[in-house]
Amino acid sequence: MFSSGFFVLVQREVLRFLRLWKQTLMPGLISSALYILVFGHALGARIGQIKDISYMNYIIPGLVMMSVINHAYQNSSSSLMQAKFLKFLDDLLITPLSGFEISVAYIIGATCRGLINGIMVILLSMVLTDFTIDNVFLTCLYLITVSWAFGAMGVIVGVYAKTWDHIGMFTTFVFMPLSMLGGVFWSIEMLPEFWRNISMVNPLYWMINGLRYATLGVGDTSPEISLIISIVFAITFSTIASIMFSKGYRIKA
Amino acid sequence: MDQMAIHIDKLTKIYEGGFKALDAIDLDIPKGSFFGLLGPNGAGKTTTIGILTGLVNLTSGSAAAMGKDVVNEFREARSLMGLSPQELNFDVFFSIRQLLILQAGYYGLSKDRGASRADLMLERFGLTEKANNTARELSGGMKRRVQIAKALVHDPPIIILDEPTAGVDIELRHMLWDYLRELNAKGKTILLTTHYIEEAEALCDRVAIIDQGKIVTEGSPQELISTLGTGSIEIKIHDIPAELNLEPWSFSQSENTLHIPTSRPESDMPKIINLLTQLEVSIEEVKICKSSLEDVFLKLTGRSFLEDTMEIKNV
Repeated sequence: MFSSGFFVLVQREVLRFLRLWKQTLMPGLISSALYILVFGHALGARIGQIKDISYMNYIIPGLVMMSVINHAYQNSSSSLMQAKFLKFLDDLLITPLSGFEISVAYIIGATCRGLINGIMVILLSMVLTDFTIDNVFLTCLYLITVSWAFGAMGVIVGVYAKTWDHIGMFTTFVFMPLSMLGGVFWSIEMLPEFWRNISMVNPLYWMINGLRYATLGVGDTSPEISLIISIVFAITFSTIASIMFSKGYRIKA
Repeated sequence: MDQMAIHIDKLTKIYEGGFKALDAIDLDIPKGSFFGLLGPNGAGKTTTIGILTGLVNLTSGSAAAMGKDVVNEFREARSLMGLSPQELNFDVFFSIRQLLILQAGYYGLSKDRGASRADLMLERFGLTEKANNTARELSGGMKRRVQIAKALVHDPPIIILDEPTAGVDIELRHMLWDYLRELNAKGKTILLTTHYIEEAEALCDRVAIIDQGKIVTEGSPQELISTLGTGSIEIKIHDIPAELNLEPWSFSQSENTLHIPTSRPESDMPKIINLLTQLEVSIEEVKICKSSLEDVFLKLTGRSFLEDTMEIKNV
């Protein structure tokens, strides 16, 4: 199913972001530390507890998920865009690698970056707060499936995008609102009914609360449904990304 | 068919917007040949090799490398080919040595084999000292060498070079020519696209001329020049007789020089000199103007190869 060249491409994708660690790993850590400091320490005491969890600990799964989603998406979309922009994507397209293999290799690279960023934010939280993980296995499962889903989304956007603006627009107009309205900083029960109903159709709301359940043992949603939604998104986006690559959509003349 | 490195059958490519880049072309490139695909910009050369190597989706027809269909058996077909595209492109995150090892790896070479092939390529192209530099840090000529090294690093039996000497200096051009001749002598099939006529004449044992998506002629450069070329012989004579008859050759004259068009100037020259001697004409100077593939292109298309290229460049 996968040729040896596939593993070389995966290696290339992981090496790329590790070499650029100042751009790919540090920003997530710094922004999460600032969120914990500002929202957790400064505002948390005023808000009190949510479902018997301190506000600071309550927002950590959301911060982890924001970092995971953002970095997984950024990795595959920007790596692909660079390869398109500088034309070295052609060096891959002429190899015996199939479109499926190339797309999956990009997704795995993105998943690794999302996962590492997520783990780093969790470790940082453990250092700065009394945050602990309730279910390590389920936490890893969420981090991997959500990284995979948004890594695949990054491949789709990376293939579709004609300019760097397209990549940035998706972050600004899709991920940021969905993250903020996905219950990172509050429980759905704190919202008016209208916004509560709106949040129910936000996939990020389910993913964030799935991770919240895995780490804190509490959440607004069923962890099973959250996991199923994450897996369905991962499979759907991967399939679309693979078809786009195999057909050569916007990458072959 | 077994003897063909590349077999193209009624290959057609129509781009979005309706532009027909290839119009049902047929082409056979024998194993071990040094084949030139000649034509002006926009003729269909890059589209043809793009389809062969997987960069362009074909509209209809088929193409195969060593009998492997480039669509249905793309893994096998692509592993048999190495492409150096016209446009320079580089993965800017890695040194050129790492880049060559990665490229070899994509073709399935082990890490050790890839590293030894990469080192060999660096040495062969005089890039060993630059092995740890990124492509951005190299000069234009060096970038071109890396580009060609990438095409060769997995040691493919078919090497496809799209305008390999575009924009390179004469020294590098001749270095590349020598190396390509050496590879061809070792049995590699080389498909070269170029709009440098002298490059095709110097390197290729067979050429096809493509224009507006159609193969207009094919053969060895010598065959094409002798059958389609328009060379001439110029003879300076002391005093041209008033009623000179050189049949079966026709001629024109300017001052005291005869201009005799012929597709075989070298073989016709002694006969014409003999005829003039019999007519007791005093010959002062004889000059052979050899025909070239440029003349063949001009005759077949009614347009000058170079003029056409210039026109497109100036758009």
